[in-house]
Amino acid sequence: MADYRNIIYEIKDNIGWVTLNRPEKLNAINDDMLFELDNMFELAEQDLDVKVLVIKGAGKAFSVGQDLSGAGTDEILPPSPRRKLPSKTSLEAARRRNRRWEYIFNLCKPTIAQVHGHCLGAGLYLALACDLTIASDDAVFGDPSLRMGILPEFPLLAWLVGVKRTSAMLLCGKQFTAREAEESGMINMAVPKGKLQAEVTNMAKGISLLHSDALAVAKDSINAAMEARGVGPAWQFTNDVSLLMQQRTRRPGEFNFENARDKLGLNAAIEARDKPFPELD
Amino acid sequence: MPTGFGWTFKTQYQKSQWEDMEYRGREYGLLIYEKLEPHIVRITFNRPERRNALNDQLYNEFLAALHQANDDPQARVLIVRGSGPCFGSGHDLSSPPGEESPPIHPSLNPTLVDYYGIERRRCGKQEDILHYPKAIIAQVHGYCIGASEMIASMCDVIIATEEATFGVKGFSRMTLGVTNWPCFWPAESNKFWGGQLSSVIGGKQAVEAGFITKVVKAEELEAEALKWARAMAQLPAEVIAMYKEWLHGMMDIVGLGAAHRSHYADHLSLQYVRFRPDEVNLYKEKKDSGLKGFLKKREGSASTATKAKS
Repeated sequence: MADYRNIIYEIKDNIGWVTLNRPEKLNAINDDMLFELDNMFELAEQDLDVKVLVIKGAGKAFSVGQDLSGAGTDEILPPSPRRKLPSKTSLEAARRRNRRWEYIFNLCKPTIAQVHGHCLGAGLYLALACDLTIASDDAVFGDPSLRMGILPEFPLLAWLVGVKRTSAMLLCGKQFTAREAEESGMINMAVPKGKLQAEVTNMAKGISLLHSDALAVAKDSINAAMEARGVGPAWQFTNDVSLLMQQRTRRPGEFNFENARDKLGLNAAIEARDKPFPELD
Repeated sequence: MPTGFGWTFKTQYQKSQWEDMEYRGREYGLLIYEKLEPHIVRITFNRPERRNALNDQLYNEFLAALHQANDDPQARVLIVRGSGPCFGSGHDLSSPPGEESPPIHPSLNPTLVDYYGIERRRCGKQEDILHYPKAIIAQVHGYCIGASEMIASMCDVIIATEEATFGVKGFSRMTLGVTNWPCFWPAESNKFWGGQLSSVIGGKQAVEAGFITKVVKAEELEAEALKWARAMAQLPAEVIAMYKEWLHGMMDIVGLGAAHRSHYADHLSLQYVRFRPDEVNLYKEKKDSGLKGFLKKREGSASTATKAKS
């Protein structure tokens, strides 16, 4: 088995357990973690011993999303406007980012996200790209990308919860509790924190008893229905709009996350980013 | 907005109907236009004695107000609400035959193509609200029915009271389910609500179904709408506009554009309904017993049998 530093991957009783393992950074996803996930998914997809994958986070949270430190994040984040890259290069990068979520969504094995604590940005994308999302009642779902002028690159959300809730999260910055996420159809189930592991294990065990071919075919037909409703073209459309958003010229006085980070440090920059926004419940 | 190249660039890629409605030199008679904060504009439908029913004057003033807020470089978020007992009771059915707001009067007898053009323009006004480049919040209390509900549903955010009532009363069986418009709704809910054509629903049901954003107590409504407006107003205007283009572009992939077209055609086909003697016909009833007579008769008809379950 590959030697990973940012994730833990174990196989037990036909279940592949994947743990995002940067607990000191609340499992912020940097390029190294992303490439390890790429490698793991590729191995798991071909591994006949793995019938279902469970993805969870070590420590306090599932994942707070993209690592915003700017170090080792060229792949997970849209290119910095400072780099002034050719459009083609930025578009290719946007395609790669989106194809990654699409690939996980369409993986030929069932996937379960086991979510606790914060589940934001790319962490949210990962959790929702899984076939099933089970969360403990302390989970919080959100995506502050627009506050940094980054397009939330995950069209699937609108299909899961409808446009009004999508705008509440992405445009207004509302964070959804586990209960709200369950009621809106964003996730399958919210369970008490103490029961999360048992609930997910039980569900994974049930899936692992089914024939792997049947699982692959059933998943494909479910996703074909989503494809027929336009999810496929939406990924591509998202690439284009994401690129446009990156090429936008910032107006004078507009909050600039990169400048704030360089001046104040990462945590203070995140605080400065979120401070003007009222909390919405 | 000014581009620095000596020409004016509209954020819309195609001309919207509100751009044709001039606000300069206009005095609003049926609505109130207020600048609440540098980035927040509030538009109040102010025809409370008619429950903010939309006649041509009110609708045109609304479009002019949208135009005015668009041209205000500081404005980023609009709040739309109604004064008096409710948000709005839809088209003003007492409007004279020449007006566009209510259904086309049969005496006008236009050609099919003219009819389609009229319907397209009527419905297009609503569609242009959806594609408005700035964020809009509908602050809803009381009845939000028919065309008023259509306006609310075009807004990015709907904050409503628990007592708010959403639905389409229609005239006789000529109901078009705007609340049942599937493109706006997640898949699992449109099957449920779509089966309830012509029903009206309360604020709590509407939020459960994902049709509106949030439901609050009546006394909290104004403060809550302002809070949500302030949240969006923190974002640069361009970011809001591009986000909306992205979301609505995806809705077009799902088929929203086709749904709009089908809506024009449905309006049109309903103009050709042949009423059975036992059915309530707006124009016949209006002629025979006046608008109140029609409303009374409609109240007992099949289309309004389902009441709001708030």
